[in-house]
This record gives sequence, structure tokens and C-alpha cells, in this order.
Amino acid sequence: MNIIVCVKQVLDPDIPPAKFRVDSASKKVVPPEGIPPVINPYDAQAVELALRLKEKHGGKISVLTVGSNGADKVVKHAISMGADEGVVLSDETFEGSDSFSVAYILSKAIEKIGEYDLVLCGRQAADWDEGLVGSVVAENLGTSLVTLAEDAEAVDDGLKVKRVTLDGYQVFVVPLPAVVTVSNEVGQARLPSGLGIISAARRQIPVWKAEDLGVDPSLVGSTAARRKLFALSVPARERKCEIIEGETPAEAATKLAVRLREAGAI
Amino acid sequence: MEQEFDAIVVGAGPAGSACAYKLANAGLQVLVIDRGKFVGAKNMWGGAFYGGDLLNLLPNFCEEAPFERYVTRQKISFLTEEDCLSVDFASPKFKEPAPHGFVMLRSKFDRWFADKAQEAGAVVAPGLGADDLLWDGSRVVGVKAGSDELPASVVVACDGANSGMAQKAGLQKELSSEDMKQGVKEVIELSEEIIEQRFGLSGKEGIAWEFVGSCTQGLPGGGFIYTNKDSLSVGIVVQLDALVKRKVQANDLLEGFKSHPEVARVIEGGKLVEYSAHLIPVSGINMMPELSRDGFLVAGDAAALVLGTGLILEGANFAVASGIAAAETVIEAKERGDFSNESLSMYRRLLEDSYVLKDLRTFRKAPHFLENPHIYNLYPELACDVARRVFIGDGQPRKTTWDNVRDSLKGRASLLQILPDLWQGKGAI
Amino acid sequence: MKVISVEDKLSVNKFDIDKDVHIRIAEDICQTCNHHACIYVCPASCYKLSDGGITFSYEGCLECGSCNIACDKGAIDWTLPRPGFGICYQYG
Repeated sequence: MNIIVCVKQVLDPDIPPAKFRVDSASKKVVPPEGIPPVINPYDAQAVELALRLKEKHGGKISVLTVGSNGADKVVKHAISMGADEGVVLSDETFEGSDSFSVAYILSKAIEKIGEYDLVLCGRQAADWDEGLVGSVVAENLGTSLVTLAEDAEAVDDGLKVKRVTLDGYQVFVVPLPAVVTVSNEVGQARLPSGLGIISAARRQIPVWKAEDLGVDPSLVGSTAARRKLFALSVPARERKCEIIEGETPAEAATKLAVRLREAGAI
Repeated sequence: MEQEFDAIVVGAGPAGSACAYKLANAGLQVLVIDRGKFVGAKNMWGGAFYGGDLLNLLPNFCEEAPFERYVTRQKISFLTEEDCLSVDFASPKFKEPAPHGFVMLRSKFDRWFADKAQEAGAVVAPGLGADDLLWDGSRVVGVKAGSDELPASVVVACDGANSGMAQKAGLQKELSSEDMKQGVKEVIELSEEIIEQRFGLSGKEGIAWEFVGSCTQGLPGGGFIYTNKDSLSVGIVVQLDALVKRKVQANDLLEGFKSHPEVARVIEGGKLVEYSAHLIPVSGINMMPELSRDGFLVAGDAAALVLGTGLILEGANFAVASGIAAAETVIEAKERGDFSNESLSMYRRLLEDSYVLKDLRTFRKAPHFLENPHIYNLYPELACDVARRVFIGDGQPRKTTWDNVRDSLKGRASLLQILPDLWQGKGAI
Repeated sequence: MKVISVEDKLSVNKFDIDKDVHIRIAEDICQTCNHHACIYVCPASCYKLSDGGITFSYEGCLECGSCNIACDKGAIDWTLPRPGFGICYQYG
């Protein structure tokens, strides 16, 4: 089974709030200097599911990312986990693309790769949490789509996908090729192995530009964005700590319950 | 796994990257592993690099490296609770013919330096740590990283003050708190304009400012401030065993240091953006391990190549110099096809012939001398007291400076107490 | 100048906290320890005195190794966190 996984580089979600800054004027997040972006954790889980499928059914895993500076690092991360190869899709004209344009660029790259059975994406990116790209890629490619997968396996007539719902799950069988977005219920992404890290470190990741992909420049970049960001600011956070004491745990618990009720929390 | 690397360098700090850069340029297959999530993630220092080693290795250093400022002033201050007596040295020789030193932030610098090694052909793999060495009899033949075995002709341990590698190779004994100082540091953000205004700097000028006295509450060590581009590195270095004896944390000393009027003035309005800590091996040649064995070399802090003379505490230049010497040794060993300890002993000879071991020998008595508490309480107090007597007019007839010194000594110390210090200091620093 | 607590200082640092705990202590030894060096040498205040014994947290460890060296009772089993985890200095 040939699998293409779309991954995104995001601001490291483990940076402390104190390091998170936005420039309200340009309406952009200011990445903390010196802390490299990381692979979107949901996308790492998509790579994880791809690896499990490959272990079971064989095949090849290719990784795609749209991005500029340092985007090869997230492709290398996927390779260090066990993916076979990857490409960075980068062009000046891509700068400021919204999710629709990103999905369009990815679709063009997927078509360029040509032979694929399955496209996996993380359920959403940990930065903007939109969760659009996977669906739009499926629309562009004209394939079937299953969102929020927690497991998948190849069956005779396609792919059997277990999809997370609010209080249970659904099982679908979809014909291939298909696009599947992967939810965190798939489980923790494996850590890169030592040999994987070395193999990725020595790899040169190829870059495909707009003209390599046949991307129409009028459909990408900030001018093509279908939405405009109105404002961006860091919400003010207030925190307060009260220590509730008591002679016995029971007394402390009672006081806590009273205090929580006063505060309207329960 | 087949052996594909001539050398594995453990740790991408100044020693490791210098070594890897040199090896890769000579065409050797070299792997650098570093346990940080990214290169530089685990590394910290006070803040400045001195000397020409980097400039010799990387001729475009001044144009390309992410240094914060040049060191154009060296200042040393003696502190009491309230007073501060300073020596502030500036010289055109700090700029010409070559820069005397660079104020740098380690995480940025290390990443840049490792990138240079990578561009030269080294494979740099962050997120990968060495858990153990691979052995063939008494010969080191690689490292173990998690479940992977990584073979190589030689392992160069550049894994810093807490060198697990040097210990696992049986070269370094267990470290003792008498041999270590602890450095704690805050990076405090301030605008470029404010920094230049407060310190009287312009352009890329910068200050390396050391403090002795009340900043460590009389414990062996000192304080420091380095001017970055738009932040200050403010910290304390203190003898590890002294913290236990005094029952005080280095952070308490740091907070006291920051509240000294002379320090509070320059950090006023700044915003804390990072708090860091690291150990420094300070016993110099007295704690230096054997530097090699079959298939193994040790460089930088891992080999305790740090020089403390009281006025300076330097390790990074020794790290770079030793990394380069290790690389030169490995290059020749590769030509000979011989990585035995005898072949690798060239490393020690190179260091003996360079300033690295010459300096450490010259100052071999300094670590012991610097344990003398007089340096951290009596002398700063004396210096400030004499200055007060000399400068402050209180309506009384003035005395000669010598009489002021004598008055200042009264009740503090006798010449008989001071003479041995002078005598010891003469041979040590 | 307001004194900043160690906890508040650590809150500005970036950590990738591992689920694997890299510090272990032998509580019975700490109960009988006469100097509790760990609480003074740890720059991150990972060790705290509690009922004559020691409690610890590993999340804010700055990985300097001071505790491992200063504890002469063999009570602290301190290792480095797994590669990729732990403190990530932005400036250093």
C-alpha cells in the first residue's frame, strides 16, 4: 500500500505561555527565536498509522509538507520515525496561503506523485485547529474521505476505517484511493529510532516549487485567501490560588465544596 | 550495523562542533550526536568567548556567526552589601587587529556552529544520546544509543561537565562537589537602546563584567553580567560544596546579587526570559582525566579543560582548541589506520604544546588558592573601605592612602594574615 | 526589586516533560540524612524537605547534575532524561 502523509510544521506546542507572542499590527504569531518548529502532533500520529499499515501490508510511505524555512525538519522527523521519503513544497508565491490553497498545493503534489492508495492527514493542526486540509484534499482529488480515524486496515474491497464519534465509533469500508484524517485516539506516535535519526539527518529533502507542481499562482498566497484575519491578540490570563485548609481531609473537602459553590463552579 | 563512521562525536557544543567541522573538512565520515531536542537545547554558559581559535577555524566568523556583541570592555567589581569598587578596562586592542572576545548566547551559537559542521559534511543528529560505549575487549568501538549500536573507529567525548562518556570509558573518576562550581543565570530582556544607554555602548560594543564579594555572600565564586544585543546575561557562579556548608541556594545568591544597587540599576525594568543552570569543573589539571584510550578521546569540559584564575573563568576556548586537537589526532590516526591509545596519544602532545595545558599548568595552584574565603569577603570589604576613606571628605584632616589602608585593616585583619595570602597568590594566580 | 521564586523562573523556560521519571530517591536514606545537600544544590528547587524526609519533582530539572554529585549518601539516582526530553534552552 502506497501512502502519502501530509504533515505541517507548527510552533512547538510545549513552549510556555510566557514565550508566546503575537504581533497585533501584522496579525501574525511571532515564533520564539531559537526554538525550532515541530511536526504537528496529529500529523505525527498520521505517520504512526501509516507505519502500522505499512508494517501490516507493505508498501511505501511518502511525506509532503508545505512550508519554507526549516520545513525539511518535519519531513526528516517523519523519516526518522520510519517513513521512506519526503518532499518540501515551497515557493515564494505560497506565502500566506490559507487552508484551501494549502490543500490545493498538496493535491497538486499528490497528483504529481501519481501512484498512491491512501492519503493520511492529521485531524487538525495544533496551531490554528481548523481541520480543513484533509477534507479539501479529498474534494480536489475526487476520492472518498473518512475523518477522525482511530484505526485502519486494508481489506479486499478497500480500507476499513474505525472512526471516532462522541460516545463510540463507526466502521466504514471505503474504496481506494481514499483520504483519511487521523485522530489522536490512534495512540502515541513512536519516537524516532537512533538509526532513523541518523538516516534522516543525512538525507537531502527535495523541494518542489510552484512550477514543478503546475500550481496556478492566482490560487495561492495571501491574495488568494478566501478569508481575512480580523484581529489577533493574546488573551489576558488571570490566575488565583487559594489554599483551603482543614483539620481533617473531610473538613477540608467540605470547605472546598462550599468555596466552589460560592464561586459558582459547582 | 556496518561501520560507516570514522568518528562519532558525542555532544554538539563548542568542542564537539569544532572537532566535527575539522574532521568533515578533512573528508572523514563523522557523526555528531546530541541529546538535546535541538542542538544547543542543553547548553548554557555565562556568556563570552575569548581568543582567536574560532576566528582561525572559521575565517568568516565575524560576518556570519550569531554573536551578540564584541567584548570591548572588561570590568571587574568588588562588592560589599552596598558599595562597589570597579576596575573598568577598555582598550583599542580589544578591537584591533582582531576582536578580543564575543558575547554570545550558547543555544544560538551552538546551533550555528553545528550547522557549519553539517555543511562541511558531518552528519549532525540531535535528539540522539549516547547511553553507553561499545567495547571490543579494552578498545572502544562505538556507542550505544537506545537499542541501536553505532560503531566507529574512534569516539570523541565532548559531552560536557557531567561527562558520562569519560566515566564510562574509565578515564574520569566520580566527580566531587569540591571540584565543581555551579552557574545559575537569568537572561533578562531589555531594549537595545536601554542597554547601550546604561552601559555607555554603541554599535556592537559590549561588556563582560565580573563581580567578587558580597554577591556570593563570601562563598568562593562570583557574579557576572554580559551585555547581549537586546538582553543581559546575569548570573552567579559558586562553589558547589560551599552551598551545602552555608545551606543556601545559588538562586538566593542570584536574587541578592540582582538587588545590589549597582546591579539593580542596570537590570531595572527588564523581563526574565530564561533561567538556566550548569556545572563547571574548576579544579583544572588536578581533576583532568586521562585524555585518551584505545578508540577514545575526551575534550572540552568533559576533560575538565577549564581555566579559573579568579579574574577569568574560561572553558569554551579550551573546548574549541581541544576539539581541534582531537580532530587533528584522529585525521592522522586514520592515515595510519591506527586508533590505539599510543596512536591517539598525539592528542595529549598537541595539548601540551598549546596554551591549553600550558595555561592549566601555570595556574595549577589557582583552584586551591581560590578557595581562600578572604578573597570573597575580606578583600572586597577592604577595597571598598579604603576607597571610601580616600574619596569621602568628612571634614577631618585627610590621611595618606597608606594610612587609610592601615586604618582600614584595623579590626579586620593583620598584615600577618594577609602576607600568606599574598605569598600564595604570587605562585597561584 | 521583587524577588522571583524559582518556580516562577522555571515557568518561563521551555521543557518537554517526559513521562519517564529520571530522578529516584531512596526515602529511607533521606530520613536519616544529616545535611540534605540536595535541597541547597538544586538550582531548580526540585528537592523539598518534608517531615524530615525529602520529596522531589523532576519536571523542572535543569539537568545540571549537582544533586547527583552533592549527595554522598547514595540516596539519589539521577540520570539524564531521555534524548529529546527535558529542558530546552532558547538562549543558553
